[in-house]
Order: sequence, then structure tokens, then C-alpha cells
Amino acid sequence: MRRGLALVAAMSLLFAACGSDDDAAASTGETELTVSGAASLTDAFGEIGTAFEGEHPGVTVTFNFGPSDGLATQINDGAPVDVFASASPTWMDSVQDDGPGVSKRADFARNRLTIVVPSDNPAGIEDVGDLAGDDVQLVIAAEGVPAGDYAREIFENAGISKAAMANVVSNAEDVRSVVTSVASGEADAGIVYVTDVTADVADRITQIEIPDDINVIATYPIAVVNDSQETDLAASFVDYVLGPGQQTLADHGFLPA
Amino acid sequence: MLLVALPLLALIVRTPWGRIGEVLTSETVLTALRLSLIVATSAAAISFLLGFPLAWMLVRGTFPGKTFVRALVVLPLVMPPVVAGVGLLAAFGRRGFLGSWLYDWFGFQLTFTTGAAVLAATFVSFPLAVLALEAGLRGLDQRLEDAAATLGASRWYVMRRVTLPLMAPQIAAALVLSWARALGEFGATITFAGNLQGRTQTLPLAVFEQLQTDQEAAFAISMLLIAIAFAVIIGLRGRFLR
Repeated sequence: MRRGLALVAAMSLLFAACGSDDDAAASTGETELTVSGAASLTDAFGEIGTAFEGEHPGVTVTFNFGPSDGLATQINDGAPVDVFASASPTWMDSVQDDGPGVSKRADFARNRLTIVVPSDNPAGIEDVGDLAGDDVQLVIAAEGVPAGDYAREIFENAGISKAAMANVVSNAEDVRSVVTSVASGEADAGIVYVTDVTADVADRITQIEIPDDINVIATYPIAVVNDSQETDLAASFVDYVLGPGQQTLADHGFLPA
Repeated sequence: MLLVALPLLALIVRTPWGRIGEVLTSETVLTALRLSLIVATSAAAISFLLGFPLAWMLVRGTFPGKTFVRALVVLPLVMPPVVAGVGLLAAFGRRGFLGSWLYDWFGFQLTFTTGAAVLAATFVSFPLAVLALEAGLRGLDQRLEDAAATLGASRWYVMRRVTLPLMAPQIAAALVLSWARALGEFGATITFAGNLQGRTQTLPLAVFEQLQTDQEAAFAISMLLIAIAFAVIIGLRGRFLR
């Protein structure tokens, strides 16, 4: 086992050595900031990143969007990430407690969930209860993915857990894959964040609101990852999201934290 | 050499040997293993049954566009599997060419079913079967078949008692190679068939999902898949590929 660890350490050094080559190349031109963000932040953070780059010449923001659980696992496994923005406190806790740790942690947005159906609504879904109906093909995000856990919570709140879970035909990798399945008409319904109904898909999907007493409100924390080599820049990105970025987030349908 | 050995070594080091038994007998893994065996075996069988007549036509037949057909058959080998998945969706999806027709007329939907997983696996493993069978047919001494025919054997009898036995090694290679490829199929499956335990979550999809949450489990399942791949190579080298 000890030998194994030594080997892993040697390998990490090897990769670190390769990595520093890249850094040297980058420093001649630009500084790179790597931000891992929940898939639901794809559009809003894309805009925030461009604006941030505009205010920081020579800085390139590289985004790594995906399911928060997967992103947290990557960071805990040593992925070189400067800022982490999660769609649930759970996975920020994971990086904070089981991973490299974080600083400047703050909640920056909240989000509601919604039912989405293809615009021709083939299964005739009208409310949450209909998701438990016969022959409804439901796609939700996988367990562990925040949107997937929230969807399961909503089924429970509505008292339709068993029937609705029996209708699930696929556990998508992240929330955006749920949108894809519904927009392409392969699934009859899915549960996503209201912010996922972007202009790109708005004409292909219809939202069906989930009543507040059943719905879940997702809280999004952001923080600087302690492994970051660019802590100052990472901190100013976090500040930017908490400051001017708030307007962009609101434009995309996020609620203030 | 190091490039190949290092990831393997790292996997071995990171595999939780202490709880590998527990992980590999968990419900998730057993369900995925059972499904993977069903999907890969079906895909290999279909690849053989459809691949044999096609290989036959490619070797013995003369028809216009033969070169084109040959190129088309090999295409899935070099095509990104996720693209294969997108193509399958466009053809067999609920709004696809054939899929929309099936759905409107029979209410039949292939996406998100085990059938879709089999189709995805067949799509990517089919070329391997055709190539192996083609090599077998090409290397066959046709005079043996002719001799049997001259002695009054029917075409079916020649096929059954002369052609197929002579080709046994290549048939086995076709089955094993397409089976192994089907077992490892990921991109086309997750794109076209989705990911549901017991229905479309094969072992590679289980690795992918576990990796997000329980990494040790992902490493354990990976070891299982490597062990199977290793067994396939040893089997092939010993018997078919000399």
C-alpha cells in the first residue's frame, strides 16, 4: 500500500511537472482562471465570464460545467480548479470537508424547479400529479446530481414517489441532459430548474409550474478552492458574481440568495 | 508502453481491494452485469447473423457500389460513439425517420429501452464481426466447397458441413470481438438508450455514474471490466489469433 502511495505521488509529480509547462506557456500571454460550475449555470456564467474578462485584460476564464457531484469529486481528486459554484450546499460541503477546502464561501443565487414537457405535450401533463400517470416517460437527473435529488424531493412532497419513480426511463448525467431529452421529444416530461428553459429551447418545451408548497428552492454556494494558484483572481471572480454578476443571474431567472 | 501501463497500474492501486467483494456483489453492479451480459451477447449474435450474409456478399458477390458498402460497414469503427448515438436518435428516436413512424402507428418507442441499448451496441460491434467473417471467407479454399457440391451435396449441406466448420476460428473471433466491443459500449448507449438501472445501465454506464459519487465503486467495476477484457485477449491469442 505504501508503495502504491509512493507511485501515485510520483505520478502526481509527473503530471504537476507537465502542468507547469503549460503555466509557463500561459504566463507569456494570459492568466487562466478555471471555474467549475453546475450545469444549470452554463448560460449565466458564460455571460459573467465574458464580462469579467472584459474588466480584467489578460485573463481568460475557462469554464467546466457539469453535475455538481461530479465536479466536486473531480476537485477532491486534485483537479486544478480555482472557483467552484455548486447547485447545492451538499457538494460544497464535500469540497470543504473532504477535499482541499474552500475560502470566501457565500451563497450567490437560488433557483426554483419546474416541470418541462415537449411543446406538443404528448402525455397531456397538466400538473405534478400527472407525472405519476400511466405510460408517462419521465427523465430526471441521476441521484446525487442536485437537480436529481430535488426532483426526488418534489415527488415525495407531492406524495407520488413510488408511481413517479416507476415512470423514470432515464437518470440523466446532469440537468441540461434532462432538457435535451425533453426538447428532442424523447421524454414526455422532466424536472429542471426554471433557468434551464433558455431561449435556445424555449420554442420546443413548455413549462408547467410546480406549486410552492411542493416545490424545492435550490441554494447555490460559490467559493475559492484552496488548491488554487490564482487565489486573488479567484477571489475577485467570486466578488464579481456576488456583485455585478447578480444582475446577469437575475436576467436568467435566478432568485437572489 | 508506459502510456498503457500507467493508467492500468493506477487503477490497480486505487481499487478498494478490501471491499471489492462487497462492491461487486452490490445490487447496482449485479444488475448492471446481468444487463451487460444480455446486451453484449444479443449484440454479438445479431452482428453475426446479419454480418455473415453481408460478409458473404462482400467476398463472393459482385454488385455495383461494393467498395462504398464496404466503407460504410467499417465507418462505425472509426466514428465517435456519441455521434452513433445521435444518428440512432435521428433514425429511431420518437421523432426520428423510422422512430416517429413506429411511434405513430404502433405506439412503440425504442429510446430508453433495453432494445435501444442492444441496437447501440450492435451498431458499434457490427463492423468487427463483418471484418473477421470477411477475412475468414477470403481465406477459405473454395475448391473444398466445390468438391462437396460435385459430390452431390446441397448448398445448405455444403454451408453447414464444409464452409462453417472451416471458418470456425474466424466465427469465434467475430463473436468474441463484437461481444467485447459491445460490452464496453458507452457513448452511443447513454445518448440513445439513456441510463436506467436494470434497463439500460450497463457496466460502463454504472462506472460513469459511480464515478460522480462513489469513486471506489467505479474503480472496482473498472477492474471487473479489465479482467473480462484480459480474459478475451488471452482467449483470442490462445485459439484464434495465433
